[in-house]
Formats: sequence, C-alpha cells, structure tokens
Amino acid sequence: MTPIIKASKVTFTYPAKVTALRDINLELNEDEVTAIIGQNGSGKTTLVKHFNGLLKPTKGEVLVEGKDTRDLTTAQLSKIVGYVFQDPDDQLFMSKVYEEVAFGPKNLGFKGKELKSSVKNALKMVGLWESRKKHPLDMNLNDKKLVTMASIIAMKPDVIILDEPTNGQDHQGIVKVESLINKLRKEHTVIIISHNMELVSKVADRVVMMYDSRVIFEGSPKKAFTKKKLLNKTYLKPPLITQLGQGVKGMPSDVLTINELVKELQKVSK
Amino acid sequence: MAIVKFKDFSWTYQGYKKPTLRNINLSVKEGEFLGVIGRVGSGRSTFCMTMLGLIPHFFPGRIKGELVVDGLSVEESSIAELSTRVGLIFQSPDTQLTGAGTTVEEELAFGLENLGVPQKEMNKRVKKMVKLIGLESFRNRSPFELSGGQQQKVAIASVLIMQPRILVLDEPTAQLDPLGTSQVFDLIKKLAKKGITIILNTQKINYLAEFADRVAILNKNKLVKVDKARKILTDVKLLRRNGIIPSVYTQLSEQLIKEGLYKGSLCLTLGDAKKMIKKVVKK
Repeated sequence: MTPIIKASKVTFTYPAKVTALRDINLELNEDEVTAIIGQNGSGKTTLVKHFNGLLKPTKGEVLVEGKDTRDLTTAQLSKIVGYVFQDPDDQLFMSKVYEEVAFGPKNLGFKGKELKSSVKNALKMVGLWESRKKHPLDMNLNDKKLVTMASIIAMKPDVIILDEPTNGQDHQGIVKVESLINKLRKEHTVIIISHNMELVSKVADRVVMMYDSRVIFEGSPKKAFTKKKLLNKTYLKPPLITQLGQGVKGMPSDVLTINELVKELQKVSK
Repeated sequence: MAIVKFKDFSWTYQGYKKPTLRNINLSVKEGEFLGVIGRVGSGRSTFCMTMLGLIPHFFPGRIKGELVVDGLSVEESSIAELSTRVGLIFQSPDTQLTGAGTTVEEELAFGLENLGVPQKEMNKRVKKMVKLIGLESFRNRSPFELSGGQQQKVAIASVLIMQPRILVLDEPTAQLDPLGTSQVFDLIKKLAKKGITIILNTQKINYLAEFADRVAILNKNKLVKVDKARKILTDVKLLRRNGIIPSVYTQLSEQLIKEGLYKGSLCLTLGDAKKMIKKVVKK
C-alpha cells in the first residue's frame, strides 16, 4: 500500500535560523490513526504544518497522495489535508455556527445540495446540528472546539489533523472527542497531536515520538509505552494504568486499558 | 478561622438574566487546600475571579449576598487592596506576564514597584522567589524565552511576591505539557506546605486526590457539594451525576469489585491501587 503522506529526509529551518525539523523520514498509512507525541517545542506542530503545506521543507520532500507539496498550493492541499487548530479562538470568526462550518466548503466550490449535506453531516457528526443557529463565541470551550472540527470535516479532506484535541476540555468533552475520532477514522486518515496519553492509548494505531526536532520512535502505542528511556528523555509518562501494570511483578509491561489490566489480574488470581 | 467566606453569594453578569453563581455558601479555612471541580460552563472560572474582586470591580454586574476575604468585604474593597491578600493565576501565563520586565527578575519586581516597596526589600523578595520556583539559572532570561511550565511558575511567583495569604489558581496547567504540569503542581504542593491557603480549579482530579484537603463540586452555577477530598472523589454516583469521570484508579477498583476479584472500598490514589493489586494477586 502506498502511504498517504510520505516525508523523506525533511529538514526545516525557520527564517530566524532555528532548525525545527531534522532529517525526518516518515510514512503515514491511509487507514491508521497516528498520534504525534513529544514535549512542547519538539517539532510536532512544525511537522504537521508540512502535511497541509503551511510550511514547505528546507531540505528533503513531503509527498501527499504521491504529490510533492512544493508543487501544490496551500488551497489545493487544503482539499486533501484539514488542520484543526489547538485554540478554537484562532479559527472561529463567523457569527453563526452554520455559517462557520459552511465557510470552508464554500471556498472549495461546494454548492447547493452538496454544500448543505456536507455541513449537515459534519454538524451531526460532532453532535451540534441543534446548535447551528448559535453564535460560536457564545458557546462553551468544549463546543467551540467541536465547531472547529466540524468546519474541517465539512470540507471532506482525506486527512484530518487534530492539534491537542482534548486541551482545555472537561471530562465530557474528552469522551466526545474520543468517540468523534473513532467515527472519523472510518472515512479519513486521522493524525492527532496530543499530550493526553490516555487518549493516545485509546485511539491511536501508531505513535510517532518526537524529541529535539527529530523522530525518535515510531510504532504501536503498546511498544511506545514500554520505551521507558525514550519516554523519560522527552518527559512523557505512559498512561497511569500502564504505569500501574509496570509496577506489578509478572505483569506484561504494555497493559494500556483498565479492561486489559482486569483481564491480566484475572489470570494471576486464578 | 475562615479566611474566605461566601454567604448566600450570587453574581449576575451585566446583560445576563440568570446568575453565573447562585447562592454560594462556603467557608475556606486558613491554610486549607481546596480543589474545585465541575464541567465547562459550571461557573468555576467566575468563582475564581470573585476572590480578587475582578467581580464586581472589573466586570460589571450584580452581587447578592456577601463575600469576605481575609477580613475584607470584596464588594467594598478595591482590587489593589485585595491583591496584597489574594493572588490569582489564570490558565495561560501569557495573560499574566506583563512583559514590562525584560528578565525574570524584573517581571517579578513589577508588582512590588507598583506598591512602592523599597529597593532593598524588593531585591530580597525577588531573590527569594527565584529560588523558591527553582529558576535561579534563568533569572536574567526573558520570561518569553522560557517553556510553558517555567512561564507559569514565573506567573505564580509574580503573584506570590506580593505575599498573599490566599492563592487562587484557575486551571493553571490546562495549556501545559506533562513536564510543565508536574512542575506547576510540585510548586503548588510546596506552597500548600508553607501554609498558604490554596484554591485550585482543575480537571486533573488525580492531583487533587493526592493533595487537596477538601473538594467542591460546581454544577449549573451552584455549589453542589463540598467535603473531604476522598469522600467527594470516591463518590462515583455524585461525580458522574455532575459530569466528572472518576480517577482511573477508582474505575479500576469498580471493575475489580464487579468481577468479584476484590472486596474493599473504592481506590482513589496510586497508593490505594497498588495495595489493592497486592491483595488481588495474593488471593
């Protein structure tokens, strides 16, 4: 299978001479949810900005659906790759939720029935169809974030990038985001940037760990969360349940969820 | 003795019909560590802003009832007066840092300069603060060159330097990465040990489970319940009714009880969970 996004030897240096990416080689598959993890400033956001063409590599190349991002305009790329910002206030600007969500697809040339159905579908997907007449800035943070997600979903991109989707969300919001990612994965390639290791362990098929502008690990969450040295280096910790399992003698070190831990304990106590 | 006392306190923002805080009754003792939890939109941030007097002196609206902080009626005192007794920390250090100082030390001195504290005393306090937050080697750096966690520590120090007896923190780690989060929580823990009254609004109930004396739940603009941290945080029905997911350790103990592997009370902390697992494994 050809990867939907392929980065080869990508190096990126900001105009102020700060190198934010060094020699990144990465292939992302269409049917996977990929989580990019790492400390603030490790290069995560700079990397995903290469996927939607907001940034172009200083050295090396990024292919999206086989095409070099340097040969595509940001407008062309935004049809393929949608990026949901970390802070909803950076994205929202219309006075009605419906208009906010319709803005992107309209710009892409969606009209009439196609436009209506894509907006409706996106708002239903995030559970905010009933709120379509509200002012986005009157909504609580949970819902604002969901509006920004809907406005990207409505553009029907093949790839959806969610930057810190659970930041500032309350517990209910986190549950909603989790179930939304599980819906999205059926039709889109999903990339998340997250510090929330519980979320990563639940939704990701693959983890990309970044440290000091480089990718230092790539693999399943189960593998990622047993790499103690790498995690320490980047100041991350496995999910609490995994840490608990790692403290028990004879227990596998890659237990990710409560259910898995209960099953393991059933085995031991028999 | 109560250092903060809400009595039948209600607050309605100008232009709104319904109150954002409704009939709050709460006393916080000096030296206490109170956690505040609840959904987005429950009134938690507004609650945090009351004690420094941002409500009603900065945001217009209507107060009913009374709020007394360190002997001062909030309604009758100015923010300047209150700021020597209450420190308020916001979600994002960007909101807090003035940018008036080009170095960490200058940023810390800013509030004292405004109060007219003598130079000698100022230098002494700045030095002490830099040490307390563990940023000695960064004292001549610009606060904006620091990591999110370090910035939030500077923000906390810039408030602490006014020597408030009460520190109110409104989701201080919501924007931080795991390293920044643990740095800030470590500092809060240290301050609580020094006897500063802490009122901490956070979603991270695992931290409250370890450190808070009492926890208050806000929901739909009301104070639903306040009680000992363990009592609130293991009352799974109460939590779920108010949109709060219990700690993973509590959830684990619920599962193990359901599966018949464990007979005991619900866990709250890592320590509880370790003990429980020992029992289960020994069986």
